[in-house]
Amino acid sequence: MDTKWKNRKKGISFLVFFLGISLALGNIAAIFRDRPSGVRIWQLQRLLQDDYQESGRFRAYMTHRLEDFLIMATGGEGLWGIWGYADGTYYGGYDRDYYYSDYGDYYGDYYEEYWNGYTEFQEAVREMGYPQEAEEDSADSGSVSSMSVEELADYLEGLEKMQDDYLELLDMIGDSEQWDSDQMEDFRYQLEDYRDGIEYYLGELQSYRPELDRERMKPLTEEQKQIIARKYHERIQGDKNLLYTVAYDGKALYSNSDFLPADGSMAAPEGYDFVLYFDGEKVRIQKDGKEVDIYGDGYYRDDSDWYLPGYRNFQVDETAKKAAVCIAVAKEPVLFSEGAYGNGGTKQYDNTLYWMDRNFRDRQRNLIREFKGLAIGIVLLFAAFLCRKSRQEAAKSIARFQARIWMECKLVVFLLFFYGIYLFLLVFLIDGSGYSLREEMADIVPPLLWVALFWGIWLLWNDLRHNKKIWRRSLIAELYRTFSAKSLNQPLARKIARRNRTVFLTSLVYGALMTGEFLLIYSDWRDEGIRIAVLFLVILETVLFLTALYLTGAKNMKAAREVDVLSGRIAQIRNGDYRDRQAMDSTGVSANNTAYNDAGWPRNVEESAGQNLEPVMAQLEDIRHGMAKAVDEQMKSERMKVELIANVSHDIKTPLTSIISYVEILKQEEGLPDYVKDYIRILDEKSHRLKNMVQDVFAVSKAASGELPVQMEELDFGKLLRQTLADMEEQIADSDVTFRTEIPEEPVMIMADGERLYRVFQNLFQNAIKYSLEGSRVYITLRTDGQLAVASVKNTSRQELEKEKDFAERFARGDASRTDGGSGLGLSIAQSFTEACGGQFSWETDADLFVVKIAFRILRPYIAPKETAQ
Amino acid sequence: MGERVLVADDDREIVKAIDILLRKEGYEVLKAYDGLQALDILSRESVQLVLIDVMMPKLDGLSALMRIREKKNIPIIVLSAKSEETDKVLGLSMGADDYVAKPYNPRELAARVKSQLRRYTSLGDIHAGSRASEIKNGRLLYNTEERILYADGEPVRLTATETRIVDLFMRNPGRVFPAEEIYRRVWEEDAFASENTVMVHIRRIREKLELNPKEPEYIKVVWGIGYKMEKQEKRN
Repeated sequence: MDTKWKNRKKGISFLVFFLGISLALGNIAAIFRDRPSGVRIWQLQRLLQDDYQESGRFRAYMTHRLEDFLIMATGGEGLWGIWGYADGTYYGGYDRDYYYSDYGDYYGDYYEEYWNGYTEFQEAVREMGYPQEAEEDSADSGSVSSMSVEELADYLEGLEKMQDDYLELLDMIGDSEQWDSDQMEDFRYQLEDYRDGIEYYLGELQSYRPELDRERMKPLTEEQKQIIARKYHERIQGDKNLLYTVAYDGKALYSNSDFLPADGSMAAPEGYDFVLYFDGEKVRIQKDGKEVDIYGDGYYRDDSDWYLPGYRNFQVDETAKKAAVCIAVAKEPVLFSEGAYGNGGTKQYDNTLYWMDRNFRDRQRNLIREFKGLAIGIVLLFAAFLCRKSRQEAAKSIARFQARIWMECKLVVFLLFFYGIYLFLLVFLIDGSGYSLREEMADIVPPLLWVALFWGIWLLWNDLRHNKKIWRRSLIAELYRTFSAKSLNQPLARKIARRNRTVFLTSLVYGALMTGEFLLIYSDWRDEGIRIAVLFLVILETVLFLTALYLTGAKNMKAAREVDVLSGRIAQIRNGDYRDRQAMDSTGVSANNTAYNDAGWPRNVEESAGQNLEPVMAQLEDIRHGMAKAVDEQMKSERMKVELIANVSHDIKTPLTSIISYVEILKQEEGLPDYVKDYIRILDEKSHRLKNMVQDVFAVSKAASGELPVQMEELDFGKLLRQTLADMEEQIADSDVTFRTEIPEEPVMIMADGERLYRVFQNLFQNAIKYSLEGSRVYITLRTDGQLAVASVKNTSRQELEKEKDFAERFARGDASRTDGGSGLGLSIAQSFTEACGGQFSWETDADLFVVKIAFRILRPYIAPKETAQ
Repeated sequence: MGERVLVADDDREIVKAIDILLRKEGYEVLKAYDGLQALDILSRESVQLVLIDVMMPKLDGLSALMRIREKKNIPIIVLSAKSEETDKVLGLSMGADDYVAKPYNPRELAARVKSQLRRYTSLGDIHAGSRASEIKNGRLLYNTEERILYADGEPVRLTATETRIVDLFMRNPGRVFPAEEIYRRVWEEDAFASENTVMVHIRRIREKLELNPKEPEYIKVVWGIGYKMEKQEKRN
């Protein structure tokens, strides 16, 4: 329940974090994209104002309109969107660039340049002297026909292609010496084809020549300009969102409103809140009846809002000084159309302002939505900050998941991701060339991509942060580990054998590859590219092969070195140098002066190693022999020790028998004074203690030498404890301590010698009685701990326990005075008997608490027995 | 009364001590200080019991024991400083009736001498064969009809509960009884905390019939399993 809630909390906190980041980042990117240019993101007032007339686009539009009106007023040229006019007919495009003005026309330039280039080409052909027919292609140059620009462009393009192909053919003449007659014939036909094509295009160009004559291109006449201005007026006058009156020299020339005088009165009809008036020198603007400050300090700068004449550094010329223009703009523009059915349908007027307003409002709505999203994102981020602990937990969970993914997969995904972004940027950068990269990034990368980019980097960072050694979980590493683990488990000899096999097989494959590839290279193989590729392959394979060879060789070298050190060491040990390796490493010189050089080879190789491993084996056999002897001797000495103790105890027993016997006789003597009886009592006590000690010493020495005979049988540990307690009931009842037991009723079956184990607990309980604090409690417990049954005896010592004292040491006792009746072998017997039965004996002290634990392996889990029938 | 006991030990003080102890009990003591001497005395005198030490000069105790057994059937108690189980088994298998480890408890020794002599002299007829209603185990004899236990031919005074326990044990020598089963069969109640109760009674019975209650020979604890009546090996 608790963990479930924890997990849920983790999930929620991360979701909050995820949404917060995504919303905030996405919306910031969107705001950057949608914001009007020139407005900084923190200029909220400007970003969110909903009057399209405050936008930069509107100001630019007004600037252009005023410019157009001034052109119309002064009779200049270059009005927008009006077809060009020359030789009494309209033609051209929508742009100023398209119709003929004066000298320097775009296509004219291109044509002339190309024409000249073609002449050079003809020269080149002529110099090569072949084929002679090309000479006939030459034509008069330097004139420009009056064909349409599109046609001209088509012809020129065709001509260019022809020329390229023709030149290519000419290049091939170099190889022509080896050609047979058929090839020659083919070539000739091809050349002739091209020549015909070029001739055709040139003919076409020449036929237009009289019409496209540079001499005849002239500036527009006054009349023509007036016609263009009138056309312009006709085009825009229907759009009543923009009212205008253009006057020159006090006379109104063009106007689409009777209620807008160009006299500086700034009177505009209802619904028009923006009025601009140019009086011949300066511009005045009223918005909602209020004057707008246009010029500031009177100088025009890059960041000035209005690009209008009237600045001290932006004045109008003499002709414009007579002009007066008044423009009024509707507060809420509407769509204006005209049903010109006589001309075949309805037509829409310019309506730029209407669309501007519409777009502006749309954008404002978007921006507001985006700001709201940003706000929500920030709030969520704050919430995520508050529960960042569980969020970090979640991040760790994600990292754990990431840790399971192969590094290669991650790498591929990340590379693809960044490559995708790169491609995306590249496409847009090429498309929108001319922008700075920074603006580009903000404008064209969709907000979603920014968010994705962030999370991609976040995942990378998270992985690097939480997962140490991320390369460990990779396909290559795992393959390597599989192989090395496999080889690790094998004996050295098999590893070396396998390496040899690998080297042999690799050499075989390498040889086969080399043979095949050299055959390929030296065979009559035409393509140079394939030959180089094969050669490259050969180099690559050779490098790989040599690397593999080196690696296995290095491993074998290492093994060889180790074998050598090993055999050297064996020789040393055989010769009686038993120092450990560290001691030898520090001196560098061993007993028989085996020094090691820098490469780790022993200097006297022949002495230590020999030509083969056989002498080493012989030495090892010597060592084995010596060791067997040593072990044998040790066993013998152990046995002798026990025998000695047995003999000594026997020798003690005989006089002890006399002592005990005569003490007994003395005890039975009557009429002795009381003090003598007291002496006899002491003699009796001490002789009995001596008897116990002799028996104990004998038992311990036998147990220590592993010669204690044990009769192992299945028994119930709990029952044994209860029996022992019952057996010692009187002793316990007479003592100052209370026994508290916790022994399970159900059998705890172990394998042990009951008699010995009884002695163990008898000793432990006696010790507990003897050394416990008066009135304290002794705790006897039996617990099962997995496979083990652990009995423990805990008592509080009367004496302060010495730390670090080994109480199980022979003759060690709780107090040092040795005045009590014990032999001092209690714990020692308990320990050696327990171990003789295959149990584990341990003891520990905690302040004055003394705890002995005896553990045996449980034979089988308890199964309740059926009631035995009588 | 007046049975003659031969004591053979190379340690004169021990022989003297045993002499004093046994004479107090009313026995006549003959002394030998080596194996040959012991055999010599046995060939000349009428002796009812032999106490013989294992480690003796000239002829060791076990060899002497074998020689004695060739001619006589009198009880022999082996004394030895070797206290191990194997030594004891060796002595008994060679024809000894009892084995006492040095250093012994003098009173226990006296009790064993008494026990062996009783069985040898007073109860000679019982050795020959037992009646159907009598179960014999070492120095114990139990009459199932009378429900009386005899130790060395003398009836042991037991309480009713003790008699029931002895009845159970004597009828099933060698079988191990868990405390719960003893409790159920003797008290005829469900066993609860039976270990202590049973142990108390067993201890009392031991004091009445064992020669050395601290090292019982008949009613033994099988540690971790239960209690049993040890089946005594019969000589011959």
